[in-house]
Amino acid sequence: METNYETIVIGGGVVGSGIAYHLSERYKEGVLVLDKKYPMSGTSGSTQAWVWVHNKTPSWYAEFSMYSAELYPYLSKKIGDVEYKRTGGLSPFFNESDREKAEKLAESYRKIGIKIKVLSREEVLEKEPYMNPEVAGATYSSIDGNVNPFRLIDMYMRAAKRNGVRYSTYNKVTEIKKQDGKYSVVSDKGAFECKNLILAGGTWSREIGDMLGVKIPVNQLRGQILVSEPLKPFLNFTISGLRQANNGEVLMGYSMEEAGFNRATTLDVIQETANMAVQYVPGLRKAKIVRAFSGIRAMPEDGFPILGKVPGHENLYVAATHSGVTLSPLIGTLITELIMDGETSIPIDRYSLRRFG
Amino acid sequence: MNKLDKTTIICRCEEISCEEVEEVISNGGRTFDDVKRITRCGMGPCQAKICTSMVAEIIHQQTGLSPSEIPLPRMRMPLSPIKLETLATNSTSFSAVKSVLDEVELEEGKVR
Repeated sequence: METNYETIVIGGGVVGSGIAYHLSERYKEGVLVLDKKYPMSGTSGSTQAWVWVHNKTPSWYAEFSMYSAELYPYLSKKIGDVEYKRTGGLSPFFNESDREKAEKLAESYRKIGIKIKVLSREEVLEKEPYMNPEVAGATYSSIDGNVNPFRLIDMYMRAAKRNGVRYSTYNKVTEIKKQDGKYSVVSDKGAFECKNLILAGGTWSREIGDMLGVKIPVNQLRGQILVSEPLKPFLNFTISGLRQANNGEVLMGYSMEEAGFNRATTLDVIQETANMAVQYVPGLRKAKIVRAFSGIRAMPEDGFPILGKVPGHENLYVAATHSGVTLSPLIGTLITELIMDGETSIPIDRYSLRRFG
Repeated sequence: MNKLDKTTIICRCEEISCEEVEEVISNGGRTFDDVKRITRCGMGPCQAKICTSMVAEIIHQQTGLSPSEIPLPRMRMPLSPIKLETLATNSTSFSAVKSVLDEVELEEGKVR
């Protein structure tokens, strides 16, 4: 295998593969993606894969997410059907006291062009007839949706490979050195050299940064999800907490635990998830659960994406974020612009690693 | 096992053929779970009880890995499908499970 590349991307998940694909659209120099296992074996393969905008705060982060969601229909046209559906997103609440918070959210978003409606109980039931009739209301936005994460990453990989990107999988990076203006990336399958190095290691960003003496403050957050047997299509929207996939399966779960890299599923959180699901959609009581799975999400210390040039290191870039599925088309576009043009079409200074001092 | 041809159905639940499994391995996949994520082989109601050994055989034939080097699929609770109500405890207090709106914080009466 060739050992010299213009650009190496460490990490082949939704963020790394998204960057590799977008780079390959404009850039015919050598690009190599290194993955310690096979893409989708980490966070990108264990998610409900909402493309979610409307409850992100502050509003500038919601706006950033909105730009990415806007790219999805175009992305599907370019790389193939990734089962992206802009269903609209519904966040139900069960206490009338939450309505004020919902109204405040809608008000603060009106200024940036994200239209949120605060629905009454009747309006929720009209949109989603299987929702618990005890629901008090919901926030609703038409921009939200979901995607099939497996198809998304598979299609990114296929399209990138067609454009000349190389993938080396089951190949863990063990050491990174800077020599004569180039990066030397030592891996289980040998050493590779490159000019541009992109760190897209997701949950492992901290460990990869350490290899270069760069502190990338990304922690781990576990989420557990239940999957039902295929059911006839009956849910119309992406509900915050559950969604129905194309094949009829319902995916349920929205949990957060600090458990390091431990990917076990646990009975207490499975039970809470079951309680949440029957509270939202009581008709699911009789649905059969086929499996439970858990995933470890990357969570930067302040919750926001870490994007762009690594200060003080020439030709070194980082992309580490929560909500990688939502943000991947935008991050791929922006990192490509940064490398090719030296600037980005929308500002990303706010997301610089510099903010951590 | 030598009787598998390209159209042989390996996963009955999701109707995945031998050819689809082989393609994942030729693209660099090495484990049952790699095959599962890309093709859905083993994701159906039987949860890989039928197809595990056939996929292992295909991995062995294509990569030369010995059967002991091929990891088993990750087994997922509940192993056999059970009703959601069997798992539910009817409690409406949550700790690890959240609602998205709960994460929206107000500061001086405004969204942060």
